[in-house]
Amino acid sequence: MKVLLVEDDLDLGNGVRIALSGQDMEVVWVRRLADALHMLESTPCDLVLLDLGLPDGDGLALLRRLRRDRQTLPVLILTARDALEDRVHGLDSGADDYLIKPFALAELLSRVRALVRRSYGFDGDAIEVRGLVLHEPTRRVSVRGSPIELSRSEYELLGALLKRVGRVITRHVLEEQVLPGQIGSESNVLDVHMSNLRRKIGEGYIRTVRGVGYVIDPVARDKAAGP
Amino acid sequence: MSSAPPPRPRLVARLAAWLQPSLVRRLLLAQMLLLVMLWLLFIGFLLYQSQHDQSELVQDQRYEMILRVADSLADHPERQHQSLSDIDRFQRDTEGLEDEPQLRMSMLVRQGENLLFVSPRLPATIRNSRLGAIEKLPAGGKTWRARSLASPRSGVVVTLVKPANAVNVLLTFNSRGFLLLPLLISLPFLALPAWLSLRLALRPWSRVTQEIAARGPHDLSPLGFAPRHRELRPLVTNLNALLKRVRDSAKREREFIADAAHELRTPLAAMRVNVEALKTESAEGLRQELLDGMVRSGDRASRVVGQLLSLMRADLAPTHASCRVALAPLAQDRLAILSSLAAARDVELDLEAQADCVIVGEYESMVSMLDNLIENAIKYSPAGGMVSIHVARQADRTVLSVSDQGPGIAPQWHGRVFDRFFRTPDQTQTGSGLGLAIVKSAVDRHGGHIVLATAQGGGLNVTVSFPSPEPPEPAP
Repeated sequence: MKVLLVEDDLDLGNGVRIALSGQDMEVVWVRRLADALHMLESTPCDLVLLDLGLPDGDGLALLRRLRRDRQTLPVLILTARDALEDRVHGLDSGADDYLIKPFALAELLSRVRALVRRSYGFDGDAIEVRGLVLHEPTRRVSVRGSPIELSRSEYELLGALLKRVGRVITRHVLEEQVLPGQIGSESNVLDVHMSNLRRKIGEGYIRTVRGVGYVIDPVARDKAAGP
Repeated sequence: MSSAPPPRPRLVARLAAWLQPSLVRRLLLAQMLLLVMLWLLFIGFLLYQSQHDQSELVQDQRYEMILRVADSLADHPERQHQSLSDIDRFQRDTEGLEDEPQLRMSMLVRQGENLLFVSPRLPATIRNSRLGAIEKLPAGGKTWRARSLASPRSGVVVTLVKPANAVNVLLTFNSRGFLLLPLLISLPFLALPAWLSLRLALRPWSRVTQEIAARGPHDLSPLGFAPRHRELRPLVTNLNALLKRVRDSAKREREFIADAAHELRTPLAAMRVNVEALKTESAEGLRQELLDGMVRSGDRASRVVGQLLSLMRADLAPTHASCRVALAPLAQDRLAILSSLAAARDVELDLEAQADCVIVGEYESMVSMLDNLIENAIKYSPAGGMVSIHVARQADRTVLSVSDQGPGIAPQWHGRVFDRFFRTPDQTQTGSGLGLAIVKSAVDRHGGHIVLATAQGGGLNVTVSFPSPEPPEPAP
């Protein structure tokens, strides 16, 4: 996997380059907008990590140019600007994701993987967490090798949670985006689907954050281990 | 409960308030003083005049007329006396006086030692030593001015007498009732219209004062009232200029802090990425621990930078676009993001939210308020503890409360924990002391209240409440 890193800060660029290289990614690092444009024309890559404040221009210009050329190349913005309007502006300009400095390396890696996965449409790629496997093209789910029959709603819920492993998916997102039209304001349809899903895949995968939402932890939470 | 305060101190307080220096009273006193001075000057002038105006005593025609009458009626003493008495009454009448020689011109008519006529109650002993000269003569215990002329035909001597004492002038005024009394009476009556006119004239001034008094301590916008008056214009102009300077310097300061915080983010990110990359390289236990410490310190610095930014941003844009913020989904979102922090600290989150809770306000401000409340609660919770968040509507207010099972905050610090960078002395957790300041700032900007209390089981309970907005117009 080839990543184009556009970042003018020496220390940060170098750190990201080394960290990503350690994860079997090939990183091409440029520090100027012009170099980035040149690189995009000459070398095909799978993902762009884009800083916004560059010495010779705004990273958003590169983003707009990419989108004008109808390139579907995923772009993850790395920036210190975290005001709401900046974020909205960045995403409106066609960014796929937005990460605010300073960020945790794990967060960067998981987002990079998620973006690449999304851009390749999971082709042939299954999501696997602790023996729970979801194969997107065939819509098949298995737990430790044994296949499981899920209803459409249950499948959608599981897919939503698995695609963003480790992140809590809020109730209102699940209600509005995963089960649209099924939910009245005071209903417990979501809880019913969830409890059915849990019964089928077994306990230990889906964790409830009460009142907030649900999450599938990448590693089983061990209460005894402590923080 | 203490008993009702006794009425006297209140009366004293009101009196003290009334006795405070007042410009209106000062102007009023100045006006009244000026009036009294003018009036005293006038009286002085009258006194001077009365001492030096001898016009009646030097009118020779008057003497001549009296002498002629006396001479021509010399053969008829009764008619003579009657005529002299008439003349005396006439003189008296022209001055409009009663029969008090102290207050009017009187006369004596003699022929040799024979007294032909004397005005009633005038001492008969008044006699000039020389003819034709005004002399000051004592008689009957008083002093008089008198001048005598003799008839060349019969030797009859007419003496016209006026009182020489200054006091009688004042008495004259009194008896005439046309100078002293009106002034004395009019003085208090003049004070009321003067006071009213002063109040009226100073109305633009009070408008400026009212406007300044009405504004909040953080309001640095220019005064809305632009007086057209020459005396007030420089005051308001200079005040507005001063406000602008303060505003600009506060803005520059905040921009500087925001810029500095902003600039810190990239090096912090670089440090973090480098340390984490190093962590994956190095497997040694002690080294891992030290690197973890570096990551944690970096996180703390990042958090302070983020808090500074949100605080400065909140101060910088006081009138941001408001929108209806649905509290329940927002709380879900923020808790979802912070659940990784809670998981790392082995703290359980529990949200109980009523679906239709809405606040009208700035989205970002609400986000930083929620983040800081929840982060604080997670931070101070013991491992295995629970953070409970409740969102509900109570009467006409929307109430959000966050409880933890941590050590809480002793009541004596409740007033100070909202100060920026304040941390309670018995603090065991690391932190910047900015979290509650950010919460307070957001609550204040939205017209809300914040209450600290002890949660069930001893932790801290923070309750913020906002006025619920009117329900939106139903779509037609």
